[in-house]
Amino acid sequence: MIKKPQLNNKPVKPDNSNLIPIANFENVILGRQRVREMMNSLGFSLLDQTRIVTAVSELARNIVVHAGGCGEMIISAIEKNNKKGIECIFKDQGKGIADVNMALQKGFSTSNSLGLGLSGAKNLCQEFEINSVVGKGTQVTIREWVKR
Amino acid sequence: MSNINLKVADILDKNREALLDSWQQQLIVNTRVLVSEVGFNSIKSYSEQVLLSFIDSLTQDLSAEEDRFSQTRVLLKEFIAKIDFNNVDFVEVVNFILTLKSSVTNLLIKESDACISESILNLTSWFDDLTFYIFSICIETRESLIREQQRAFMDVSVPVVRLWNQILMIPLVGMLDSSRTQQMMETMLGALEDYQSRVAILDISGIPVVDTLVARHLITAASAARLMGAECIITGVRARISQTLVQLGVDLSGFITRSTLADGFATALKITGQQIG
Ligand SMILES: Nc1ncnc2c1ncn2[C@@H]1O[C@H](COP(=O)(O)OP(=O)(O)OP(=O)(O)O)[C@@H](O)[C@H]1O
Ligand SMILES: [Mg+2]
Repeated sequence: MIKKPQLNNKPVKPDNSNLIPIANFENVILGRQRVREMMNSLGFSLLDQTRIVTAVSELARNIVVHAGGCGEMIISAIEKNNKKGIECIFKDQGKGIADVNMALQKGFSTSNSLGLGLSGAKNLCQEFEINSVVGKGTQVTIREWVKR
Repeated sequence: MSNINLKVADILDKNREALLDSWQQQLIVNTRVLVSEVGFNSIKSYSEQVLLSFIDSLTQDLSAEEDRFSQTRVLLKEFIAKIDFNNVDFVEVVNFILTLKSSVTNLLIKESDACISESILNLTSWFDDLTFYIFSICIETRESLIREQQRAFMDVSVPVVRLWNQILMIPLVGMLDSSRTQQMMETMLGALEDYQSRVAILDISGIPVVDTLVARHLITAASAARLMGAECIITGVRARISQTLVQLGVDLSGFITRSTLADGFATALKITGQQIG
């Protein structure tokens, strides 16, 4: 017989891990919420939050739409030269992008969409790095620093 | 063909009544909520059927790939389908099979002989298998419940507010996915026709993130309104949103956008040549 685990009456804590599997649209929403919370606590302005959360929405959704939901995002608070910032890594094991420069062009889409997600995300963030290997997957890293 | 299985089946079958008794006693003690939820008679009948099919499975001559317990699984699934998981804890459902394991083990130890250790080893793996099976159906059930709730949540109908003569307003909230956009468009186009309206105001104040997906849906809806000869005004486009949209490369310049609903309403009055008061 198994007994129900005792939790010492402590309320069950929400999972605060900063790794979020991105398999569906609900996960995208969760990722956006986590980024917004962290940016808020780091002291980012509302405009900065809106820009970065929008970029996050694009990049996470690309994992669902183009990488079959085989991926995750990792959110971390970072610091450099006394500046605080946030870093989000989007990693997937999808089909990869054959021509990254082409994918980064405004209006390029293989899904008959606006084709503005990738280029827009790059525009919206202070730092943007992308690496993709066909057949292996794609990794996008964005960073944003609190302005002083 | 394992003789041990046959032997175990024989022992279980000979002591079937006692076994059932001991199992049902344990069920009453350990799965109280489950028993009251499903009803004692139902538990009694299912425990009897499960035990019979379990004993029967042991006598089958099967190859390794064949599922020994297919019949038992059907019964378990049927039984679990009757349970309302809002009231009953998973642990009690799993204990339904674990109480049988403990009754069977006790019986076998009592009737023990030389091959008892091997038969108990087998038993353990069979019951683990069935326990995992129960867990997986429980999780499946729970997940489909969550999916249903999500769907119900997304299904809140899109309201259309008749703000003024010839002016409609549609407040958009939450996730704007394809199916909701479709619903919103149908409602909007229908209402434009019904009320002979010339302006539709789409208010996006309640949309948490306006990304390219939302923008695409907005553009589709606004273009459809235009095709019906109506003008579409998008309100709730606050400064930080329009700045973000520009950086994103989304072009809404072909549409009337306003930062507040009040501004949008004033514009709509102008378009329709009306004044208040
Ligand atoms: N994670 C990814 N894995 C594989 N291919 C990708 C991934 N992200 C983007 N792509 C490719 O790059 C193209 C451009 O991406 P982008 O996000 O700019 O446009 P989109 O997703 O097609 O449309 P939009 O984001 O505007 O709705 C995509 O059409 C797709 O072919
Ligand atoms: Mg995209």
